[in-house]
Amino acid sequence: MNTKLTGAKTGIILFMAITTTLTAIFIASEVSIAKASEESILSGIVVGVETDSNGKLIRLAVSDSSGQITTFEFSPKTQFGLENQAGDRWISSLAENPSEAARRLNDHRKRFAPITVSHANGIASSIVERQEGKLETNLGYLFAVFATTWILFFAYVLYMGQKQRVLQYEITRLKNQLE
Amino acid sequence: MNKVPGYLDPLLILSTALMGCALYLIFIWVPTETNQGAIQRILYFHVPIAWGSMLGIFVVSASSILYLWKKDQKWDRLAVSSAEVGLTFGAMMLLSGMIWARPVWGVWWTGEAKLTTALILFFIYVAYLMFRSYFPPGTQRQRIAAVIGVIGALDAPIIYFAANLWSQAHPPLITGPAADADSTLGSELGIVLLMSTFAFTLLFVYMVQARYKIRRSEDDIVDLKRATTTPGVS
Repeated sequence: MNTKLTGAKTGIILFMAITTTLTAIFIASEVSIAKASEESILSGIVVGVETDSNGKLIRLAVSDSSGQITTFEFSPKTQFGLENQAGDRWISSLAENPSEAARRLNDHRKRFAPITVSHANGIASSIVERQEGKLETNLGYLFAVFATTWILFFAYVLYMGQKQRVLQYEITRLKNQLE
Repeated sequence: MNKVPGYLDPLLILSTALMGCALYLIFIWVPTETNQGAIQRILYFHVPIAWGSMLGIFVVSASSILYLWKKDQKWDRLAVSSAEVGLTFGAMMLLSGMIWARPVWGVWWTGEAKLTTALILFFIYVAYLMFRSYFPPGTQRQRIAAVIGVIGALDAPIIYFAANLWSQAHPPLITGPAADADSTLGSELGIVLLMSTFAFTLLFVYMVQARYKIRRSEDDIVDLKRATTTPGVS
């Protein structure tokens, strides 16, 4: 009886252990999937690159099209796909070449070349040439340029027309005075 | 006295019609550029306006040289008229560039070469006109102003070549003799830019012509006032 009970207990414990392990594996995989899907994308201009004394990247500041600045840190797995001014693409990771990554990002900062950062919890997982942004819908600036330009040009043309009329009147008056 | 109303000036009618065509091409006809989207359409305004501001200083310079050579008042009038219109175009160039830079570069202004030399051109116009306003009238004022105008024109080629000389935020040249063959605009974008440049050039000519007439009227008034105050002159 005792032996049977012990065997049953062992079976239950074994079953529970297996179930718990499988559940833990499932939850862990779900969490990692959830983490992957939580990854966000931000496009903008590099406004700051912080490095340590060895030139290794520490932090990156990116300004988006609305002017909001977001700071990112890196992991050794952070991937880079950045182009130089000639259009040659450099693909690497932070672990492989940290100082080159800093140099490339500084080059982008100087050239105002836009980038796209994939990130989660403030850690950048990949940094590439701009892939997606809000520029396509940012029409306020387009309107501002056209409105400002035309208002100023029309104002100047109207001012000249008005001034010419006043001067013609004065010329006529002076000519009449002479006669 | 001019009997034709100002709004019937053939140059104004032509430049307005061309501007209408340019606006149609900019907003309806030309495809949207893939990298920047709709904001890239600012290019078709910004570049022709920048061209107008540089054309202005060239006209100032050429008129100033002709004034120094011929001593004819009409060249001085043309120089000051072109300077005032050039200042207007220069201000618009800086404003449109700043508004474009904000969403694309993330900043309103940066100290890169092309922007700095363009700002210097704006200040050259301001200095030229301020000098003419504050210096006592006479041939000495006109001569010194002419020299300022000639020297000021040296900035225009520096602005044009700045993007190639100092590779910074501005893209390489896309128009003109020094443009890189790989960086030129596509056919449709190029046509729109050309059309818009032509329309703005006509607008520039119209504005200089209108300002020239004002300047001539101002000189006529000075002569008439002198005649009315001088006994025996009619």
